[in-house]
Amino acid sequence: MDSKQFEFVDKSVKEIPEKMRPSLTYWQDAWRRLKNHKLAMIGLAGVTLIVLIAVFGPMFTTLSYSDQNLDYANVPPRMDIYQLDEDLYVFLTTDYKVLQISKDGHILGRLPRTKTDAIKKIYTYEYEGEAVALDFSYNLLKDKQGYPYDFSFTYKGTEYTEPYKKVQNRTYPFGSDILGRDLMVRVIYGARISLTVALVASLVNLFIGVVYGSISGFEGGRTDGIMMRIVDILNSIPLVLYVILIMVLVGNRGLWTMIIALGSVYWVVMARLVRGQVLSLKNQEFVMAARALGVSKGHIIFRHLIPNALGPIIVSMTMMIPSAVFTEAFIGFIGLGVSAPMASWGTLANDALQGLLSYPYQLFYPSMAIALTMLSFNFLGDGLRDALDPRLRKG
Amino acid sequence: MRNYFVRRLFYSLLTVILIATVTFFMMHSIPGGPFTREKPVPPEIMRVLNEKYKLDQPLYMQYLDYMKGLATFNLGPSFSKIGITVNELIVTGFPATATVGFLASLLIVALGIPFGIISALKQNKPVDYFVMFMATLGVTIPSFVIATMFIYFFSGKLGWVPPFGLSSPVSYIGPVVALAGYSLSFVTRLTRSSMLEVLRQDYVRTARANGLREWSVIGKHAVKNALIPVITYMGPTIAALMTGSFVVEKIFAIPGIGRYFVESVNNRDYTVIMGITVIFAAFYVLMVLLVDMAYALIDPRIRFEKESK
Repeated sequence: MDSKQFEFVDKSVKEIPEKMRPSLTYWQDAWRRLKNHKLAMIGLAGVTLIVLIAVFGPMFTTLSYSDQNLDYANVPPRMDIYQLDEDLYVFLTTDYKVLQISKDGHILGRLPRTKTDAIKKIYTYEYEGEAVALDFSYNLLKDKQGYPYDFSFTYKGTEYTEPYKKVQNRTYPFGSDILGRDLMVRVIYGARISLTVALVASLVNLFIGVVYGSISGFEGGRTDGIMMRIVDILNSIPLVLYVILIMVLVGNRGLWTMIIALGSVYWVVMARLVRGQVLSLKNQEFVMAARALGVSKGHIIFRHLIPNALGPIIVSMTMMIPSAVFTEAFIGFIGLGVSAPMASWGTLANDALQGLLSYPYQLFYPSMAIALTMLSFNFLGDGLRDALDPRLRKG
Repeated sequence: MRNYFVRRLFYSLLTVILIATVTFFMMHSIPGGPFTREKPVPPEIMRVLNEKYKLDQPLYMQYLDYMKGLATFNLGPSFSKIGITVNELIVTGFPATATVGFLASLLIVALGIPFGIISALKQNKPVDYFVMFMATLGVTIPSFVIATMFIYFFSGKLGWVPPFGLSSPVSYIGPVVALAGYSLSFVTRLTRSSMLEVLRQDYVRTARANGLREWSVIGKHAVKNALIPVITYMGPTIAALMTGSFVVEKIFAIPGIGRYFVESVNNRDYTVIMGITVIFAAFYVLMVLLVDMAYALIDPRIRFEKESK
């Protein structure tokens, strides 16, 4: 072999820059994963938005959740308005109240009814001294008998049978409820109640579950056996029943009753999870080192074990919040929720049930709020699980 | 194996007794009795009432009495429905509740599992996305919304089904769909994820490498193992469905146990609340027990684990 065939390579080629990525902590790494998870980010945005609305929303509303105006009861979010004059637009409610509406959808006032003729089915209202006659006999005719319209207004001698147009309700964007309360305001306040209940109950669960589970797992032996038997027994009880019983027991139907009921029952799942984590961690070297140094049990549990188990705990926490929202909604719907005039999403949905066929929008908005919250938390939870759960890590 | 069953049976019994005890003392720690009215009842009548319902006896006597009754399946008289026993209430309510619950469980098994499997086999295809979209929707919408929407559209707008009661076969559709909705979606998701996990396992690859036909790989090897978590979930779920959802029964005005429960909660009819709670709990515990036993029979790994403990 001829050495001339070879030549010296330039030194720079030899120094292949070593591929070094900056080392990331566990949380930085998790955040990096989470950022790449599209649905999780949507969920995170949704959760942030909902929380912001719940916290700051009530500051921007002029009405309170208990402000009622019976004149404006059951006004839907979209209204068919009739144009009776240049500047006179009216909306007819299902209980034959005539409301004056501005062209862009603000409710200006209610026209007083001056004459009621139940036999001819003509109601007369008054607007600035002029009579507005409403003939609603068509609406009651069997099979309409060829009339294409339901109502006719007569104002200054002219008859109006066709709605002028549909406008968005600007006074009550989500409509108003049976007592004329702003539904949007109530949904926003409801978010406060529902989320507070869910969050605080989940925190109570977290606290009890973590303490119980870590003690059980760390102590092991007979203590563990007895503690886990108790959890087993609690686990085989239909928990919703107990939440209901506690609600009945405590009696006064405030926010705290609900929190106590949910918080005292659902910690079992968390306790099991934490115990499992502690069991797998407690024989590792760093715990042994801590023990050898004479660190106290409590310190080992809360400074060494829990921080290392934080990933799964957080995931379980994000899953717990929506299920608490759900349970709260159910209990509210049964009629055991927070008492009026306060309202959670569940009690709002329950209130809407009476007038469902006439005013379906009253059910729509609170249910929508529940569904969006569930969806956001579920997306976020799924993403967090992928990001934080070491078992799913590849490479 | 037998030891394990006996021990489990013992714990289940203990659980039911414990539930009955806790519920009993919870009920009796409430201030005011079942006969407390806004207008005070004359003391004479109060005394007679208390005597009749044995409320004048010391608490532990009442407790022993109740437990004795429970042992012979006698749940006592209802306080607010005069002359009717809790047993009668449960007997009249149970058929409706159980039928709806049974149909809902059937629907969940018949739709949830196949859809989950299909979704897993067609991962990241349009079918998968569609099924998962529906399933996600299903776990986010509360059953009372499904139920009310159903009534609004199919009874209110279209008039196809009666809005309440169980008078005709069609009227079962609403309650069953509303009741099954959440669990159906959950089972679909569970089946899919569990199936995906199993499909990645080595033994499935081995089966394929051995030249087994695809349906045999899926049907005989993969599905069997993929269904284990589904069975775990289904046990308590069936119990919960069979014993009724209060909400669905309330909305559809089904004369079932769930409705009595809600009613009794509102009337503070303590014996009924207690009776229904205990029955529900017992049924639930029984289902959990059955699932655990089924488990030990189906999956040898689990049996081994339990025995070695």
